[in-house]
Amino acid sequence: MEESAYKSESMHENAPKKPPLEALVDFFKKDLVQYIVKRLLMFIPTLLLISILVFFVIQLPPGDYVSAHIAALASEGEIVDADYAASLRADYGLDLPVHEQYIKWIKDIIWTPTDSTYYRLYGSHHNWKYSFAYGRDVWDVVNDRLGLTILVTAIIMIFQYAVSLPIAVYASTHQYSVGDYISSIIGFLGAAIPNFILAIVLMYLSYKWTGNANVGLFSQEMLQNGVHLYNFGEFLKRMIIPIIVIGTSGTCGIIRSVRAQMLDEVARQYTLTARAKGVPERTIIMKYCFRAAINPTVSGLGGVLSSLFSGSTVTAMVLNMQIQGPVLFKALQAQDMYLAGAIVMVQAVLVVIGILFSDIALAFLDPRIRYSGGGR
Amino acid sequence: MNKENILEVKDLHVDIHMTEGLLTAVRGVNFEMKRGETLGLVGESGCGKSLTCKAILGINDRKCVPSGQILFDSEGLGKVDLLSLDQKGKEIRSIRGKEISMIFQEPMVAFSPMYTIGNQINEATKLHITKDKQKSKEISMDVMRKVGIANVEKRYNQYPHEFSGGMLQRALIAMALVCNPKMLIADEPTTALDVTIQAQILELMKELQKDFNMAILFITHDLGVVAKMCDRVAVMYLGKIVESAAASEIYANPQHPYTRGLIGSVHKIGSKKEDRLFSIEGTVPLAMNLPKACGFYDRCDVRIEGLCDKAEPELTEIAPGHKIACFNCPHEACRAQREKVEEALAKGALTQSPSEDPGPAKAVPKKKKGGAQ
Amino acid sequence: MWKKKSKSNEDYYLASQWTLMGRKLKKHKLAKLSMLVLLILYLCAFFADFLAPYSLDEFDALYKNSPPTEIHFTHEGKFVGPFVYKLEKTIDKTDFSVKITEDTSEYYKIRFFTHGTPYKILGLIPCDLHLFGVDQGSNGGSGAKVMLFGTDSLGRDIFSRILLGSRISLTIPFASAVISFFLGVTIGSISGYFGGAVDIVIQRIIEVIGAVPQIPLWMALSAAIPPGISTVKMYFYITIILSFINWTGMARVVRGKFLSLKNEDYVMAARLSGVSTWKIIWKHLVPGFMSYLIVSVTLGIPGSIVGETSMSYLGLGIKSPATSWGVLLQEASSVTDVASNPHKLIPIIFVTITVLAFNFLGDGIRDAADPYK
Repeated sequence: MEESAYKSESMHENAPKKPPLEALVDFFKKDLVQYIVKRLLMFIPTLLLISILVFFVIQLPPGDYVSAHIAALASEGEIVDADYAASLRADYGLDLPVHEQYIKWIKDIIWTPTDSTYYRLYGSHHNWKYSFAYGRDVWDVVNDRLGLTILVTAIIMIFQYAVSLPIAVYASTHQYSVGDYISSIIGFLGAAIPNFILAIVLMYLSYKWTGNANVGLFSQEMLQNGVHLYNFGEFLKRMIIPIIVIGTSGTCGIIRSVRAQMLDEVARQYTLTARAKGVPERTIIMKYCFRAAINPTVSGLGGVLSSLFSGSTVTAMVLNMQIQGPVLFKALQAQDMYLAGAIVMVQAVLVVIGILFSDIALAFLDPRIRYSGGGR
Repeated sequence: MNKENILEVKDLHVDIHMTEGLLTAVRGVNFEMKRGETLGLVGESGCGKSLTCKAILGINDRKCVPSGQILFDSEGLGKVDLLSLDQKGKEIRSIRGKEISMIFQEPMVAFSPMYTIGNQINEATKLHITKDKQKSKEISMDVMRKVGIANVEKRYNQYPHEFSGGMLQRALIAMALVCNPKMLIADEPTTALDVTIQAQILELMKELQKDFNMAILFITHDLGVVAKMCDRVAVMYLGKIVESAAASEIYANPQHPYTRGLIGSVHKIGSKKEDRLFSIEGTVPLAMNLPKACGFYDRCDVRIEGLCDKAEPELTEIAPGHKIACFNCPHEACRAQREKVEEALAKGALTQSPSEDPGPAKAVPKKKKGGAQ
Repeated sequence: MWKKKSKSNEDYYLASQWTLMGRKLKKHKLAKLSMLVLLILYLCAFFADFLAPYSLDEFDALYKNSPPTEIHFTHEGKFVGPFVYKLEKTIDKTDFSVKITEDTSEYYKIRFFTHGTPYKILGLIPCDLHLFGVDQGSNGGSGAKVMLFGTDSLGRDIFSRILLGSRISLTIPFASAVISFFLGVTIGSISGYFGGAVDIVIQRIIEVIGAVPQIPLWMALSAAIPPGISTVKMYFYITIILSFINWTGMARVVRGKFLSLKNEDYVMAARLSGVSTWKIIWKHLVPGFMSYLIVSVTLGIPGSIVGETSMSYLGLGIKSPATSWGVLLQEASSVTDVASNPHKLIPIIFVTITVLAFNFLGDGIRDAADPYK
């Protein structure tokens, strides 16, 4: 490492100073792009593994999907056309061996040719199969609430970081103070009380105090007229309980980890160096300690996202939120596995994208990763 | 305060508050430094060297509480007791880095990995000299050149992990010298480096000392380094100075048994094969609840039973500039002290703070203040 | 004199890692309290049949949705000890609404160690002794019930159901922790020991399972539970499903420790002195991170409790007639219902206390296991 630095040094010895823009371009050529490409390439096997896991989940229920569906239809007194059953079996590839079923499933999702029945029916090249529980195309059902799921998750995530980072810095710079203890206690409680239980309790309290449980993300009026600027306040008001319920546990986690990280950084030698230079305490905390402590937080972004999806699933059912949780529940109750699998897959992929983003952000933030090309 | 002295440390104590109790790691240290001179502070690990110099800058851990007096002849504030200043206040910050700066033991961890070397050196310049970005950058780069960093334009924008240990130590020295301080504290600056690099760094420090006319407080456990660098030497043991003298005097004529042991344990070129390297037996006792006795008693080969384990010797001047804290020394001044203490012991006058005293060790040296100085 | 270390000090230096951990854990008040609480909870679960006055599905239509039974002490101004009144149904003649009120004409004393609903100790020995129960009335009547925490919508005693349900709620996480422990250690050490392609594949799998949101994955996996199976099988399925995710954390710890310790100097030293690989792993590596594993197991349990409770609450996990705390909470899913019967929230207290206790205990063990604290 050192040697190569010297080599390049002698090479550039007499080179004229480059304008900053050019240097930036150079820099991108060298390290970061390589790093990002590497990460993106690693994304592919991860996706593949996720799809295998999801397919495994889809295959879990005893019996096959189409027979179960037809049996259900028959029990409702409907007469099922044998041709229809056969076409379904062909579409799902049920008569193929398992690995071929998987390949067909993946192939259909990635690209369904234009001459297929599916494309003629739905006009889409991505066949995620049909949801019996909703009587619609699986992707339609998933897509319905995808935007709102992402929006709600994003709002909660922003809330988490906005609240937890200042508290963590305070708690670490005032170790063993009253504020530190209070934040740790609340942190413990928040992390310990299961999300949906907090939801039940808050809903109960809200009902008791205001006579309104504030459930559902939208009022009746919003459902009719849509969310506009004038009723956005009402939407935010309805977000309060979800934010508290889903956000608290993650907030506490972030506070705890950033606090611990900050305490580690404060004890580092370079804070001593900075202090010996005459740097003011506040600058030491913000410029040196916080800046270093933020890195693990950024790398934990994927985990936070994952726990948000996890926490919001049951909570959404308690609070009757119009996000994917309740859909997943309904799908599972009806053993509508392709829909359930699609939801799990979409959430997992979102989390993996989150991890990807955090890795890339980390490369920007931490010069050590940037220069070593991510060989952590 | 003597006019030519830049720093006077008087009866410095550093207490460490631990969950297990109070540990007095520095127990009444006295020394002074003249302008432009190099004082070597020598001792084993854990003898309180580092704590002493951190106390000067007021950058000790929160658990470490210094007490006593550290008088510094400051440009901005005149003669000032550094310990009396608010340790987070503006005054002490205007001294840190500007008038007294410090070089640390491990250059690899002394820089934050998040910022470029230039940024971190420049920070001191911007704080103490000029707010002008261009100017301060030039000043910083100048100093970097001075400490022997090649290709400064490039190096300025590099991160610590792109530097080698020796280069980092040079950068650390640049960071310490950028404000042209009057005093430099070097806390074992070469311990973490290769031997060849060590020599380079020491040479560099010597040169720079001349250029900047700095006083250097050089902390080390390496007697070879002391011989090369220092004008005067103070030997510390268990939180106290046990011997101090001019560097040449210490080598030629070591008086304290501990100093003799230290010098005896240095390998000499040309010594006979069968001569074994001398080693001091035993280990340094834990500086917690110390009984009233000479700290070196257990490991001493010339100890006097009934005296050295009953009382602690004071630092006594035996020749101009040569002080020693030992009862068993043929010199007159020491003998006088010894007789005085023996007399007092016989009378039982010193039993007022018996060795069974469970209280903190801090009480012990304080009661004998002003004995032989 | 220095050698006179106090006895306790000597003990401290000689104590084994586990003794030290135990000692530190004892100092951790919160962890100690948590351990006590957990001990009580598990004892209650073990003696649930005896402690609960009623069985799991004993119901009384008269007691539907009734709040906790009031326990009285004085009847008509006379002290008779703890007793309850019987409920009676009255129909208002004017609007034909049904009212349930206490019938204060006759009192029913609460007796300890009474005979009630028969059960089998450990599923073998038939017994009908209960800690407490309601006696026959003062006038020989019967039918009064004592419902400490009130009843659910079918008129079942919530107190008894919490106790009996704790058998599932408290043991499933434990069983799954044991399974994930073995899975995690096996897979983690394979990954850390063999390295190479095996390691890469295992790491990818762990990463993917970690990326999938836990509860949705648990829910999806619960689709594998065939409908209409016995309680034992249901229990078994849920345990496996919970372990399916939990082993990954353990495997990661084991692998990380294997990798970092593999290159430690002391391992190298052992290797150089000819210690066999097998012995290095078990004598030098595993004890080094055993404490981390225990921490990891303890801190993984709360997640499993929440998982089981959530799934059972949704009706995807334990299903009636088997009962766990999650099943009990199904009663609390409607706001209006809860608003008029807040006692249905009582199971929440038990879930929260258990989760908190495991968290505190885990934190305490983690602190105790950390040699640097």
